[in-house]
Amino acid sequence: MSKEYTIDCLGEACPVPLMKVQKEMEKMEVGDVLVAQIDHSCAMKNIPEWARNQGHNVEIEEVDDGEWEIVIEKTK
Amino acid sequence: MKAFWNKISANPYYKKIFKNPFTYLTGAVLLSIFQIAIFASTGSPWGVSGTFANWGAWLYELVGGNVDKWYYFSSEGAQNTLNAGILNHTGSWLNFGIIFGALAAALLASQFKIKKIKSLKQVVAAVLGGLLMGYGARLAGGCNIGALYSAIASLSLSGWVFAVFLFVGAFIGSKLLAKFFM
Repeated sequence: MSKEYTIDCLGEACPVPLMKVQKEMEKMEVGDVLVAQIDHSCAMKNIPEWARNQGHNVEIEEVDDGEWEIVIEKTK
Repeated sequence: MKAFWNKISANPYYKKIFKNPFTYLTGAVLLSIFQIAIFASTGSPWGVSGTFANWGAWLYELVGGNVDKWYYFSSEGAQNTLNAGILNHTGSWLNFGIIFGALAAALLASQFKIKKIKSLKQVVAAVLGGLLMGYGARLAGGCNIGALYSAIASLSLSGWVFAVFLFVGAFIGSKLLAKFFM
């Protein structure tokens, strides 16, 4: 069964959200999903960029004004 | 009315220009064009942090202070700038432009948000970082705009020296960040 993790990066500026995502992804198994909550627009660019480079599946959802959830499925 | 706004936010040109971030390449090209415009119209290369020293001096004068005897402001040019006031200072208008431009961009993308402060640690780091950056920028004779971007654009070697140490500082900074914020 794949698990879902959530990390709260609200109020955190670059590069902290990306570093937190990278650290969390290390702990996860293939198939697990990570939801990163962010409100820093540069994290909206660098987190998906990094995750896609790693080959993971990424989706970005705009949940509110200036607030996003980046959903990453670990693929390897 | 709601349908109208929905229509705008679905418009591909709205998305392209206001909503989605520009690519680094687009940003770089626009920065280059605008910095040439600044150089051509004001006669000096673009700078940001030098203005903050003047803002500090004006604030200090507001509360009754006097910087006439300070070495930093001792030149006739610096005194003339201070006496002319903030509204006649080109650099101040450029910085107002950055602040209001950033606000306008966030509003137009409907991404404006007042962010909560997460911890006291964040406040301490931000204040400490701001003080170090401001102090460092004055010692270095500029920040990453005046001493790096404008210097390199003016074919000055000092810009490249600044760039090397900018990386050194960023490396140390990211190590500290990982130590205290992870």
